[in-house]
Amino acid sequence: MIEQRDEELSRIYRDAEGPRPPQRVDDNILAASQRVAGLARRPGGIGFARRWGVPVALAATVLVTSTLALMVYERQSGLDAIAPQVPRAGRPAKVSPAGPKRADPPAVLPPIAPAPPIPPDAMRRDQPQQYPVETGASSGGLGTGRPAFVPEVPRTAEVLRQREEAKPAPVAPAPAANIRAGTIPPQPPVPDAQRAFDVQPPIRPVQAPAAAPEASPRPDSRMRIQSAISGSTGIRATELSANPTATERTPEKWLEDIRKLRLEGKMAEADRELAEFKKRYPDFRLPEDLP
Amino acid sequence: MTSEASDEDLMLRYGKGDARAFEALYRRHRLPLYRFLLRQVGNAATAEELFQDLWMRVVNSRGRYEVRAKFTSWIYAIAHNRLMDFYRADGRASFLSHEESESVLEDTPAAEISADLRLDRKRAVERLLAALGELPGAQREAFLLQQEGELSVEEIAAATGVSRETAKSRLRYAVAKLRASLGKES
Repeated sequence: MIEQRDEELSRIYRDAEGPRPPQRVDDNILAASQRVAGLARRPGGIGFARRWGVPVALAATVLVTSTLALMVYERQSGLDAIAPQVPRAGRPAKVSPAGPKRADPPAVLPPIAPAPPIPPDAMRRDQPQQYPVETGASSGGLGTGRPAFVPEVPRTAEVLRQREEAKPAPVAPAPAANIRAGTIPPQPPVPDAQRAFDVQPPIRPVQAPAAAPEASPRPDSRMRIQSAISGSTGIRATELSANPTATERTPEKWLEDIRKLRLEGKMAEADRELAEFKKRYPDFRLPEDLP
Repeated sequence: MTSEASDEDLMLRYGKGDARAFEALYRRHRLPLYRFLLRQVGNAATAEELFQDLWMRVVNSRGRYEVRAKFTSWIYAIAHNRLMDFYRADGRASFLSHEESESVLEDTPAAEISADLRLDRKRAVERLLAALGELPGAQREAFLLQQEGELSVEEIAAATGVSRETAKSRLRYAVAKLRASLGKES
């Protein structure tokens, strides 16, 4: 009997105005419960990502930044290294046997390696041997009986070997500088095997390196390069011929070189350079130390 | 859907990460638990502290919860233990230590509630609460567990860690005293 609730007493007790917990206590408890529930529900992968996400992101940022900085530094140092290699008037150009090892190959490598001249006898020997041929490469004419398109290149191994032997050094700084200067559009490098079967124009390309005159059998190739350049830039070829460095050097750099020459005691050369400079830039206001 | 779920189901769902289940559970039990604690300690600040700590214990034990008894029995047992800790820390270790004498445990006939108090509810409530505050802690706790937690004698015994007979005696004594306070003419 006493185990049963005393209903009358219970009714009076429930009439009492019940105190309530403050709202902040409710908020604290519910926030804590949700925090804990969120932790319990979160899969391990997300926890791992949250834990390592920031360090990995920082490491990636540092890596990318340092790589970019290194690339910029290499590019700038590469430009500085190439500028002195530009042949001056009256000096033989140096040929780098190893070639540039830079991160920007299209800007440095010559667009097309110059091919050596084809021996006349090889030309003569090849010309009558142009039989109608149908090859797998000429799929357009497959089975038609028509002669396939065959580029006009010497096909004998002998000629190819001669070309390889006569091939000049692969790197020529002067065309690279012209590419950077925007006078010659850069072209992707072509593999040797493919180059051997490319259709070559009858005239040797103008990209013949001016820096390797000993490799070029034609003495006027440099003049032709300059003619090609001046045709697009409006600079007279004679000016370029007189001072090829004018295409690369800024006036300030030129004056700096003249100063260096004076400091080195090469007064005659410095005066000659200064005269060329005045000729090239007649309106340029010379500094006081270079009268 | 959540309001229809049992307490035990809600607690199990919360253990699996369902925060809304806990919210439903909390809304359902916050007022009785808070009243239970407040009327035991008689101080709002202490009651709030104990109340918050109690629910934090519930939150932290979410992964270990097993349905062995009613959720209310489990949570009021936690509340009882927390109260014991508080009393010990407060230097009132003798609060529940058999303050009932053998004579207290004797059957005490319940007094009749006076007719005028039945009509004057407000005055009856005031008297009841005053009498409740004067009850020994163990008896008050048994009464509150019955009223707020809606626990049976067995559940009160389980929650407070005493035998069924002891719980029954405490409850009987508390009811008799409260009825007597309401039956007195002021």
